Amino acid sequence: MALFRFWQRYGLAYLFVAPALLGMLLVHYGPMLQGIYMGFLDLKLSTLRLYLGAPFVGLANYREILFDPQSTFRTGFLYAVRTTLLYALVVNALTLSLGLLFAHVLNRPLFLRGLGRTLFLLPWVVPSYVVGLLWGFMWLKNGVINTLLVDVLHLLPEKPHWLIGPLTFLAIVLPTVWRGWPFVMVTYLAALQAIPQELYEAAKVDGATPWQRFRYITWPSLRPVTAILLLYGLLGTLYSFNIVYMMFGHGAGYPGEWGDLLMTNLFRNTFGMWNFGLGAAASTLYMLLTLVLILFWYRAFREDLKAR
Amino acid sequence: MREERWLAWGAGGVLVLGLLGQLFPILWMVNTSLMTQLEAATGSLFPKAPQWGNYLEIWRALPFFQYLKNSLLVCTLTTLFALGVATLAGYALARFRFPGAELFGGSVLLTQVIPGILFLIPIYIMYIAFQNWAREALGLEVRLVGSYTGLVLTYTAFFVPISIWILRGFFASIPKELEEAALVDGATPFQAFYRVILPLALPGIAATAVYIFLTAWDELLFAQIPTTEATATIPVGIRNFVGNFQNRYDLVMAAATVATLPVLLLFFLVQRWLIQGLTAGAVKG
Repeated sequence: MALFRFWQRYGLAYLFVAPALLGMLLVHYGPMLQGIYMGFLDLKLSTLRLYLGAPFVGLANYREILFDPQSTFRTGFLYAVRTTLLYALVVNALTLSLGLLFAHVLNRPLFLRGLGRTLFLLPWVVPSYVVGLLWGFMWLKNGVINTLLVDVLHLLPEKPHWLIGPLTFLAIVLPTVWRGWPFVMVTYLAALQAIPQELYEAAKVDGATPWQRFRYITWPSLRPVTAILLLYGLLGTLYSFNIVYMMFGHGAGYPGEWGDLLMTNLFRNTFGMWNFGLGAAASTLYMLLTLVLILFWYRAFREDLKAR
Repeated sequence: MREERWLAWGAGGVLVLGLLGQLFPILWMVNTSLMTQLEAATGSLFPKAPQWGNYLEIWRALPFFQYLKNSLLVCTLTTLFALGVATLAGYALARFRFPGAELFGGSVLLTQVIPGILFLIPIYIMYIAFQNWAREALGLEVRLVGSYTGLVLTYTAFFVPISIWILRGFFASIPKELEEAALVDGATPFQAFYRVILPLALPGIAATAVYIFLTAWDELLFAQIPTTEATATIPVGIRNFVGNFQNRYDLVMAAATVATLPVLLLFFLVQRWLIQGLTAGAVKG
């Protein structure tokens, strides 16, 4: 009887969420748990047939990744952690500030503003694997970027190799920013247009400077949007794969320590080297790293999220 | 007001510069796709004569039609299924109070923290195991690996969580009174959802649909493992193509242009309310 009443009350709700829940269990959480377990196994090409029955080695994989100075896997992984964190930091700082700047520029009556907004957004629609191919081609020593910088504008004395050494970092950051900031801009633009104009007029009457108007009216209204954009941006950059993968020999090439992100690094090391146990352990650490960053994000923006 | 005019000029200059930077790479892609092999490799600025034949050549060099068909099919089916599942769950999260709602909402968000690389292999092996089990226990030939079914299933599950989160915001922004009025008039809760709220949420649902389609079109990591040549989507096809035609940048850029064109057209068709829909989701939550 109680069960019947429970069903009558919540049945529809549970029916509505059931398909999503099933999908998440089957494709997200089930495989995730298997993946975490794989990190404790000696799962290589030779033991792949055994899958989860492969020899259990406890924390050996984690020990190698964290403490074994001889391990080449560890060296590459640590470089990738560094590059990925820097990449996430720089890309998001640039997309958010460029987006905010251009949202302000576009938030005024302008000739053909609608068309301008659409054209700005075009790179966001270009598939990211195409972005990787295209920029990889443009960065070549004889590519158009060097032609423009050296032959046309004479900004540099000679043509640099953009895809070798520390310059690689710039070569992967710029395309990501190029594709990412327009969406930030249109979102900020929508948020700016939602701020009541009376607030600005009142502030002007009270003699507030433009900076004070930004600091005390604009920014507090933009914080919740910023929180959401930063969350999307963090997840997007930490798990970025396509651009780097396609830029360096479509996955066959090594992007170098300044271009190799965690996704490309682990993909190469797991599938190229058939190191599934080691790869799974590293992926688990990777997930924990992301979780920690998301926790920091949550602490920083908790109040803004509640206000929504 | 001299300051105002100075500001307007500065803003105009920044806009033009920004627009140039945004459009140049896309124009360069199309420009290169019309060059000869030599022009593309030596860094010429313009093709002497546009090589429209490049577009015919990629069609001959690889089964591009097949890839295009595969991508369209997989992305369309994924969009439909994911949308159906996510609409129901998003509505439930926005409107129903039920035990476990918080836990469900949290676990929807938490899926986004799992790196794809962690569950790529388990999914693959799980699909193979299911195929074997279906053959031995049920006598059924189910193909999940190297078939549309497997890819659509995986993608659907992938894009459901983010879609739930976007749609929940749309449903939450529709006044509750509308359903309450329908209930008073004798509608069942399901009828109130189906007849009253769903039509109102249609713009948001459509915007989410386009978002899912664009994201699915862009997926490469999972697409390349469980597909065969017959079911390969465009990114996989292009990746294989680039491997075989390392130095034919003219052809590679032609292929890249063809891969971009469908989503660009879609975007131009729907851009006005796509932008409105997606930004409204982020601004209002």
